[in-house]
This record gives sequence, C-alpha cells and structure tokens, in this order.
Amino acid sequence: MKKPEISGNTIRVPSDQAFLPNVDDFLETALREYGADESVIADIAISVSELVNNAMMHGNKASPDKMVSVTVSLARKTATVTVDDEGYGFTPDTIQDPLADENLLKEVGRGIFIVRSLMDKVDINATDKGTSVSITKAI
Amino acid sequence: MKLTDQERDGIVILEPRGKIMGGPDASLLHDKLYECIESDKKRIVIDLARVDWMNSTGLGILISSFTTLRNNEGVLKLANVTDKIHSLLTITKLVTVFEAFDSVDEAIGSFK
Repeated sequence: MKKPEISGNTIRVPSDQAFLPNVDDFLETALREYGADESVIADIAISVSELVNNAMMHGNKASPDKMVSVTVSLARKTATVTVDDEGYGFTPDTIQDPLADENLLKEVGRGIFIVRSLMDKVDINATDKGTSVSITKAI
Repeated sequence: MKLTDQERDGIVILEPRGKIMGGPDASLLHDKLYECIESDKKRIVIDLARVDWMNSTGLGILISSFTTLRNNEGVLKLANVTDKIHSLLTITKLVTVFEAFDSVDEAIGSFK
C-alpha cells in the first residue's frame, strides 16, 4: 500500500480512513503555527475530515492505490484548503436535505451540509478525472 | 480517540476522548455501544467532556446508538456536551433528538 507523502503545504494519503489522523495533524499544525484560534481550527478540521472521508470512500471508492491530496494555503488571515481525489466525480445536488424530518435519524448524509454550515465558502469542481473541493474560512 | 467506560447504578457511562472523525477510532465507540446492548445494558450515558470535536461520522454513531437502544427498550443520554458539539447538534437539528445534561451525575439522576 502507498504511504502518506508530505511536500510543502500538501499532504497526500492513500484512500484508507486509518490515515485521517495524519491529515488532521498536518492541517492543525499548520493552522496553529499561523495563529488561528482553537475554535476556528476545529471548524476547519471538522470540514476537512468530512471532505477527506468523502474523497476516500465516495470519490476513490476506498481503493488504496488512489490518493487523496490536501493542500493548505494560509494568507491574509484566510485559510483555503483544497481536497482532491482521483475518482469519477461527485454530484452535490443529489444529496438529500439532512434537516428534513424523514432524514433526521439517518446515520449518513450530513457531511457536505456541515461543511457548508461551518465554512465561509465552498467550491466543488467535479470532472471525470476526480473531484476537487476548496473551502475558505477567515481566521 | 480513546475510550474508557464505567458502570454506576446499572448505568453504563462511556467516556470517549479526542476526536471522532471516522475510521478505526470511530469503530471503537460503535463496537462498545453494541457490546453493551448485546449484554443487555441498555441505559447508557455518553460523557462528551473530553471529545475535542466530532464530524458527521460521530453524529452517525450517536444516531445509530440512539435508534438501536430505543428499538430495544433502552435509552441513550448525553452529558457534558461541549460548545463545539452542541453547535453541530444545533445546525443539524439533532439537538431535538438527544437528551443532554450538564453533568454525568445529572444524566444518571434522570434515569430514576
């Protein structure tokens, strides 16, 4: 199996949830060094964990040969994090409303909703070569 | 995430620590809850005081536990919900689902 790779402000991990803590450590260390407060760090960390979970499980279908890349950019008191997978595209419009009464007790289906709630901006770009999601948050 | 547990007055108190983000860590909490249910220990309090944060995977585990216990005449209650987790429960409307208390003692007392 491939291993996590760090290059500059990017970490690449195989599509295995066991590597989620590697991504979180990388992200939180960068945010803390930049001086972000703990509440904002948690919001961004929660959001990135959602996106990496989606990239691993839905985008890359948990294939250990496919990697997920997370790039952290910190400038002008703003964090931008981009999560890229090597899957076959992702259609956010097909996600059910997690607040609907009939969905409230469903165990899954809240990830993107939570990301949109916590972040200032979310951009999703899905192609047949993979999905790239960028989130932005003032820090 | 790490998980410890204890029992008081026939009530199981689960104490996860760290971050609940998915993968093997999340399975730990899920498996422990189902172990309790299978052992006929159906009054459970999850003490969230030492959970830094959780994502939708963590919320899914709480929902799964809540519904499984309810379907088996059991009860799940939360204690020491942190501001960060309370905020997530609010934006997802799950605050209307879970019974939450300010302390483990209050949660245990509510069973009597």
